[in-house]
Amino acid sequence: MAKPNDLVQGTLDLLILKTISLEPKHGWAIAKRIQQISGEVLQVQQGSLYPALHRLEQKAWIKAKWKDTETGRQAKFYSLTAAGRAQLEKEAANWNRLSAAISLVVQTT
Amino acid sequence: MMWARRFSLRLQALFLRNRSAKRLDDEMQFHLDQQIAENVAAGMTPKEARYVAIRAFGNTTYLKEETRDTWGWTWLEQLASDVRYGARMLRKSPSFTTVAILTLALGIGANTTVFGVVNTLMLRPLAVERPNELAFLENAHYGPSQSFPNYMDLRDRNHTFAGLAGYRISPMELETDKGAVRIWGYLATGNYFDVLGVKPSLGRFFHQEDDVHPGASPYAVLSYGAWQARFGGDPAIVGKTIRINRLPYTVFGVAPPDFHGTELLYWPEVWVPMMMEPQIEAGNPWLDNRNTWNTYVIGRLKPNVSTRQTEADLNAIAAQLTREYPSENEGLQFWLAKPGLVGDFVGGPARAFALGVLLLAVLVLLAACANLASLLTARATDRQRELAVRLAIGAGRGRLVRQILTETLALSLAGGFAGYVLASFLTQALSRWRMPMDFPFQFKAVVDWRVFLFALFASIATAVIFGFGPAWRASKADPNLVLRGAVTGWGRSGLSFRDALVVVQIALCFVLVSACLLSLRGLQLALKTNLGFEPRNLSVVAMDLALAGYSEERGRAFQQRALQTVQQLPGVESAAYSNSLPLSIDQSHTDVFPADKPDLRPSDRISAVYYQASPGFFATMGIKLLGGREFNWHDDAKSPPVAIVNLALVKRLFHNENAVGKSFPAYSGHPVEVVGVVEDGKYDSLTESQQPAVFWPILQSYNSTTTLEVKSSLPAMQMVGEVHRAIAQLDPELPLYGAGSLEQMLGYAFFPSRTAALALSAFGLLAIILAATGIHGLVAYAVSRRTHEIGIRMALGAAPVQVLRLTISKTAALLLLGSFFGLILVLAAGQVIASIVYQAHPHDPLVMAGVCVTIALLGLVASWVPARRATRVDPLVALRYE
Repeated sequence: MAKPNDLVQGTLDLLILKTISLEPKHGWAIAKRIQQISGEVLQVQQGSLYPALHRLEQKAWIKAKWKDTETGRQAKFYSLTAAGRAQLEKEAANWNRLSAAISLVVQTT
Repeated sequence: MMWARRFSLRLQALFLRNRSAKRLDDEMQFHLDQQIAENVAAGMTPKEARYVAIRAFGNTTYLKEETRDTWGWTWLEQLASDVRYGARMLRKSPSFTTVAILTLALGIGANTTVFGVVNTLMLRPLAVERPNELAFLENAHYGPSQSFPNYMDLRDRNHTFAGLAGYRISPMELETDKGAVRIWGYLATGNYFDVLGVKPSLGRFFHQEDDVHPGASPYAVLSYGAWQARFGGDPAIVGKTIRINRLPYTVFGVAPPDFHGTELLYWPEVWVPMMMEPQIEAGNPWLDNRNTWNTYVIGRLKPNVSTRQTEADLNAIAAQLTREYPSENEGLQFWLAKPGLVGDFVGGPARAFALGVLLLAVLVLLAACANLASLLTARATDRQRELAVRLAIGAGRGRLVRQILTETLALSLAGGFAGYVLASFLTQALSRWRMPMDFPFQFKAVVDWRVFLFALFASIATAVIFGFGPAWRASKADPNLVLRGAVTGWGRSGLSFRDALVVVQIALCFVLVSACLLSLRGLQLALKTNLGFEPRNLSVVAMDLALAGYSEERGRAFQQRALQTVQQLPGVESAAYSNSLPLSIDQSHTDVFPADKPDLRPSDRISAVYYQASPGFFATMGIKLLGGREFNWHDDAKSPPVAIVNLALVKRLFHNENAVGKSFPAYSGHPVEVVGVVEDGKYDSLTESQQPAVFWPILQSYNSTTTLEVKSSLPAMQMVGEVHRAIAQLDPELPLYGAGSLEQMLGYAFFPSRTAALALSAFGLLAIILAATGIHGLVAYAVSRRTHEIGIRMALGAAPVQVLRLTISKTAALLLLGSFFGLILVLAAGQVIASIVYQAHPHDPLVMAGVCVTIALLGLVASWVPARRATRVDPLVALRYE
């Protein structure tokens, strides 16, 4: 199981961008979603999501809006900007290339 | 769009910091609440759910800090907190803050004032178009002055100047509503304004084509000041006729307010085309005379032409001119100088003086900084506990240094601002001051952005250079030792950092006090100088008859009638007249030749200062006649030419033999008989070495410029009034100038010594104040630190004298050491000091003794109060303390 520290910064960024690419989500939902999808393999230390979110927001890849949740309480929802979508495509392509290359190396004996 | 979003986010983070922080809290709280709710739903107890949620989240404080870091304003936040904290600390110790700011204000104020002067003299260009292209011409013969025919040849033959203009400082008589007044103006060649590229504020300027034939250009351009002051700013002045030297001139235009001609220290009221020279300087036409070197020449270099190329070009023309006119131009050579201060003639000494004073001012600043560093070190020692606590709970050393430096910077900026304000006042006072003389000597020290930058830079440099040492030392405090109560950084044996600073301060003080006393001694010597005449009880009044339209014949008659009238005034012991007086601004030189060199070769000529004097001149002026006789009323045009010479000229003319009755060739080659020999005197300046001087009888060589000398025991102003009334009866229209006691008129001659004495005394005083606070601070601090120890000593039976010795002995050692270094500095810097202080030499024993006494007194006075306090320590109180 990967510890939070092992998550390379760029990887966490990619996960966040991907997770909110379909619909706006608040922080807790993003953390939850990453855990679920990865089959609990990726255990992000939940708090460390926030510095990353704010950094991405400063880079203008994601934008945030305070909206009501189903429970009626206000939460900060993050969504992709156009620049963020472009960044996601770039990073996803990078990731695919890299992971394919690594699996090749690992599988070839 | 991206940058706009980023920018607005940054601004939000900066200005809505508290709101952003609150929002971040909300965001994280929401997250935790969601997690807790989920945990409870999964079956945990609320307490357990909460605990697990927080564990999964991580260290909130740390995460919040990390998140805030991404907002990008951490450094600013830290700076703001440093400033806030610093301000609080400074407010908490008002006496330290006041002393530090005052110290800096004095140091930076003195420097900024001097820099303001340097700025005016050396940095600020003339108010013309592209001033850096302008150059002033100098020659090997007469320095800044050229002959007008030579100027025309240079103008027409050179290949390196886009334009070459000539000008001449001339007094004129202007008729106004309030009667005729004597004013100062320029004769300027027609291309003058075009070469400078100045635009008129009213009407037009004259041009080359307006200045072609002698006497045919009766045009005038007024300065803005003259337009306002003399003609009430008359909007219809252009085209009107004004009268100069009793002739009509058409006003072409008015110069812009910030244009004061091509000399920084001389503001003319009017410009008249050069071709009017014969009218303006009536009776002395020199436009086609290669022997009269009266024209200043300024030129605008063509783009991309170097100084060296220009000088080569000029000297090629000089070689031609030497071939064409060998007797006038032999050895002619040109070079370029910076315009604005009559080339190197005034510029050289003025710049050397200004730089020398600036150097001493920097020493004052250094002394102030040493004071500041010493204060900061003491303060750091006092704050060791606080700093140790901060280090102990994890403050970084760099952060601590930054905090202390921020504090120092705040101090020095406050001090710098106070200094800048001080300097603004001082330079304004300087600019308002007028020399008591008949010359529009204008000095406008301008406080502009250069001066402001200088003050700002000086403050920041002070803080960084002198704040860093103490800050670094303070940050090295060992929390372990300090918090256990051991005091570090204040060694009793050997030299501590503060001791070294006091030594530096005393050394600087020694130098500055030396300079101060030297300048005072120089002034004293200047005042005691044998002038070669006796200014006491002498009043003078001057007039220019040619400007008032007198012909030579009428002028002669008027001069004699005026003299007779004045001689009959009650209270007058004797009276005489001459063209000028020694040590006034108007000095003329002529060439004479040794008696045994009658072929008048230029290499044999002796340059002598000359005066044209009436009978009775020497008796009235108190010039001692060493042999022969005075001029009398028979030394006129009908008798053979005679002269009276001074001893220095006798040496050169006749090689020390008895001169009376012998002849020598004058400038024109005609033999002149010496009828009298007089003592040497001072003519151009107080500091000159003995100059040859020759006196011509004014009856044999008329001069329309007339200075009346009146010897009387009546008060000078009363006498001057009487003379005014007497002359007014002869010619009510005639303007008189330069009226007053001769001692007052000599202000011009004493100006350099007075200025030096004033400037250096101010520095000396500042240095003494700074050194005194420095020493006082050191001793007082040492005593307060050692109260405990002194208490023990006294309890064990030490006598007050012993305690006194304990505190004084170290101060004495520091004084000796500092004085020793100061002495070395003074001896090494003798040259610099000599450039500011005339006459007195740094090795003057009187001065050195004075300095040593001053420093000793300074040490005694500064350490007396704290030392006395030490002897009054009550052992009981001291030991109960702590």
